[in-house]
Amino acid sequence: MTAQTRSADRLASGAGQPAGADADANVKRAHAGPARPRKPVRWLRAIVWIVSTIVVVAAFWSVDISWQALLDLPQKLTRYLGLMFLPPAWEAFPDALSATMLSVAMAWFGTMIGIIISFPLSLLAARGLMPAIVRWPVRGVFAVLRAVPEVVIAVLMLSVTGLTAFTGALAIALGSIGTLGKWGYESFESVDRGAIEAATAAGASRVQVMRWGVWPNAKPDVFAFWLYRFEISVRASAILGLIGAGGIGKMLVDNIQFRVWDVVGMLMIVVIVVTMIIDQISGLVRVRIISGRWELPIVSALRRRSAGRARREATAPGSTR
Amino acid sequence: MERNRVNNAERTGASIRFNDVGVTYPNGYTGLRDVNLSIEPGEMVAIVGLSGAGKSTLIRAINGLVPITDGQITVGDVELRGLSGRRLRQLRSEVGMVFQSFNLAKRTSVINNVLMGRLHHTAAWRTLLGAWSKDDVELAMQALERVEIVQKAYANASELSGGQQQRVAIARALAQKPRVILADEPTASLDPPTSHVVMRDLQQINAELGITVVVNLHFLDLARRYGQRLIGLRGGEVVYDGPGSEADESVFESIYGRSLTAEDVLDARPVVP
Repeated sequence: MTAQTRSADRLASGAGQPAGADADANVKRAHAGPARPRKPVRWLRAIVWIVSTIVVVAAFWSVDISWQALLDLPQKLTRYLGLMFLPPAWEAFPDALSATMLSVAMAWFGTMIGIIISFPLSLLAARGLMPAIVRWPVRGVFAVLRAVPEVVIAVLMLSVTGLTAFTGALAIALGSIGTLGKWGYESFESVDRGAIEAATAAGASRVQVMRWGVWPNAKPDVFAFWLYRFEISVRASAILGLIGAGGIGKMLVDNIQFRVWDVVGMLMIVVIVVTMIIDQISGLVRVRIISGRWELPIVSALRRRSAGRARREATAPGSTR
Repeated sequence: MERNRVNNAERTGASIRFNDVGVTYPNGYTGLRDVNLSIEPGEMVAIVGLSGAGKSTLIRAINGLVPITDGQITVGDVELRGLSGRRLRQLRSEVGMVFQSFNLAKRTSVINNVLMGRLHHTAAWRTLLGAWSKDDVELAMQALERVEIVQKAYANASELSGGQQQRVAIARALAQKPRVILADEPTASLDPPTSHVVMRDLQQINAELGITVVVNLHFLDLARRYGQRLIGLRGGEVVYDGPGSEADESVFESIYGRSLTAEDVLDARPVVP
């Protein structure tokens, strides 16, 4: 008797089966060991798929789609684009630029206030620094602030502070507190535990562990989040202008109302160019903070593309390498 | 701190005594059982055993990172059990620790990492601003000189190789002016030549400064070579306690529960005569 059949014997008798049945089982299962698992049926997944398919189909039929308008769209779009950009109102450029700068200033001011308020709050919300009874209320505040869009915050504040750029900045500040607070405590909690253990083992107090065990490793991420939030705020401030908080959004609405399309075209150009420039500069600093390299985001994107192509060519069949 | 500077004798090693020590984790797992040990001031002790044998638990019990559930540990003249808050931090400040994965704050400078060893003796406002005192910076530089890595003082910790990072970690422990250094598998993430460099550093610190050193080692040849005294753990119990030189093959079999293989030694050659 081989060692394998002997161990199979022992298995079978242990399970209380008659010894005769064991020979058969041994032939079928080449490997004596735990039984192979059956493929699990994922009911929940199937139900989710079916329900979401039904919802999509139902939504498609229930919405009154005007197919004719859809067909007319390309033609109308071309016409309005022509009115806006052929040519844009160049004489409106200085006004457009100063309105955009007001929007950017609104975003900058709002984000700064958001940073100053959210930073200590995110420390209060971090696990390991504060007990749950402090953490959860603060997290609740962050969650509520994130749930309310900046526009709604601004509308709610209108009655108190009036329709000014300051209202817009405050709305952005409140919105920033929600996102920055959450990003802050999440990066504090996700740092490598090693330095925390080392600081604790050296006899550091809770605050000291936070300062030297947590902060050095969380710092680059937190700075990058601040910049990223500024980029978001720039976009949000344009939208806040639409409800009258001043800046580029307000100028846009005013000109659309009076159908001055060439000025609208000029505004679009300025908004898009300024926003992209801010994104690139902010991205440049973020990349520098996190990876230590000075590189424009658009440059790294292009480089990744060409690097990918080079790799594909190098590994292609028939290549000499 | 002041007394340490005045009285050099106080910097020499502390004794460590285990009396019927047991550790049961909250999930019911027994980490240590009935451990009785007496480690003398200035000894260098190597602890060997399989993973899960309780090596890390034993080392972490000495500075209270793992709370003991039975018996008593005495470091110097401080009884560990029941110690908390300021008095526990005081004890920890006198016990330096070196970890398997170095545990540096990677995104700050080497010197800042070493100065983390001074946290217990630093005022809160200095800690927050990173405004270290001149004396502490000098102490940190001396610690870096001892492990021969002072030229990297202002480099980012993440730029260093594994062996360099571990030496920075040793300097951090030294900056505490400790009476005991605990090293938890300090060579497990390093290649063989670097392992010897790190172990020699620990050996010199033990010999020249008289600091008690307790080091967990996975590899038997390292343990025999660097541990004057060898303690074998198996299933949370001490199964061998004696000079490293007297630990022959039968001793290792009792620690490991099997005969030796090439995987148990760092340098792939037989260690047991």
